[in-house]
Amino acid sequence: MNKISITGIGIVSPSGIDKRKFWSNVKAGRSAIERITRFDSSKYTSQIAGHVHELDAYSNVSSRLLKKIDMFSHMGLVGTELALQDAGLDLEKENLDRAGIFMGNALGGWLFAETELRDLYIEGREGVSPFAASAWFPAAPQGQISIKYKMKGYSKTVVADRASSLQAIAYGARTLNRGKNDFIVAGGMEAPVTPYALLCCQTSGMLTQKNDTPKTAYRPYDISRDGYAIAEGAGIVILEPQDRVKNRNAHVYANIIGYGTTTDGVDRIHPAMDGAGLASAIKIALKNAGLSPNDIDYICLDGAGTKTGDITEAMGINAVFNGASKRMIASAPKSIFGNMLGATGALDVITTVLAMEHGIVPPTINVDNKDPECDINLCANTAVERIINNALIINRGRGGINCALVLQKP
Amino acid sequence: MKVENAVKEILNKVLDVKPEEIQPDKSLEESFGVDSTEMVEILIGLKKALGVNIGDNELKKAHTFNEIVAILKSKGALI
Repeated sequence: MNKISITGIGIVSPSGIDKRKFWSNVKAGRSAIERITRFDSSKYTSQIAGHVHELDAYSNVSSRLLKKIDMFSHMGLVGTELALQDAGLDLEKENLDRAGIFMGNALGGWLFAETELRDLYIEGREGVSPFAASAWFPAAPQGQISIKYKMKGYSKTVVADRASSLQAIAYGARTLNRGKNDFIVAGGMEAPVTPYALLCCQTSGMLTQKNDTPKTAYRPYDISRDGYAIAEGAGIVILEPQDRVKNRNAHVYANIIGYGTTTDGVDRIHPAMDGAGLASAIKIALKNAGLSPNDIDYICLDGAGTKTGDITEAMGINAVFNGASKRMIASAPKSIFGNMLGATGALDVITTVLAMEHGIVPPTINVDNKDPECDINLCANTAVERIINNALIINRGRGGINCALVLQKP
Repeated sequence: MKVENAVKEILNKVLDVKPEEIQPDKSLEESFGVDSTEMVEILIGLKKALGVNIGDNELKKAHTFNEIVAILKSKGALI
């Protein structure tokens, strides 16, 4: 594929909303996972999560609109504003009929929906906000971003579990390759810290139950891991084609140069036990990028933190990289701020471009005893300095979804 | 509480507008960009506050503050 540049980033995360604060916390490996206090979670097997703080301090949303939208749209709007500012785009000079929005999330807006459903059963039909219908559905953030910024180009919302936003970013890049838009706002948002959403996540059996030790609970690739901690947040990037970037002399964080995706076709929750589907997605992405495994310096891992997830991810990587994997380094920085489900891919992209820019690999935290079955060169607990010219990002979702995106330093 | 005050209170709650910002004979759409979904929310709020029911067809006729008040009074809202 032709290179597509990332020229702006917007972060709304438990590790910070501001780009500098986020990178400072991630680089240092400071866990942002806390006990859930938004509601009584004492009956849940998993009672911890990454929460976004200070959203109101960064909010660009009127109190009138806030009554009509769910938190996941709110976070998406804040992230979009930050990304547009970061890219230095002047929308008044843009042809907004050719401005696209590609978003991903897995759950939709349950904080709003749950409250209204409760009112439906208690008060009846007229107890429900008329905005419920337009607040909860997965494409709601896309609509709100479109309305706020008058962006009317070719747009999509992707729902693919934990791979949603990586797919959205990749499809955004492909769309620019086809010349359908001038630029694209891409990424994802998720707000899973609600009673029903947490329940749905819990029934997957993939959440950590180490509730008494939130900061060390999410521990991908450690022998004692028992699942991931969920997190809320949004990650937004601005995508632009090369010629446009040159014309406006824009700062480029990284270029998207390859993408591959496959599905396992094995189980509704768990990945295939041989990692072959993931290996296939990585091979497609590398071929698409015109790179060999030896060219990859860093892998941002899916890092589910489940035994099956970690072992099969390592198998998939090793099936492609063989000896090359000893040179390359890998980490799952989401162990720091939590797994944002449908938004996790966008945060992985943002974390990776910051790693490229700073020449620092952010760590996987809480790795006290690395699982010997996972033969990968893991950056554990402490960040390391490393020049990253090419990076691979892996996301996987329930239903056997495998995605791999290749980024290159400009 | 007068019907007028009840309507002002609901408009404040739904639209974040102050009573002095309301122009009684100017359409809410023109004044505040009110859309059809917000009108439904306003009328649901009024039904809860005043105990009167406004049907969908009557709702479509109510564009201004004074028109809403008139419909409510015709329905027997007296407070």
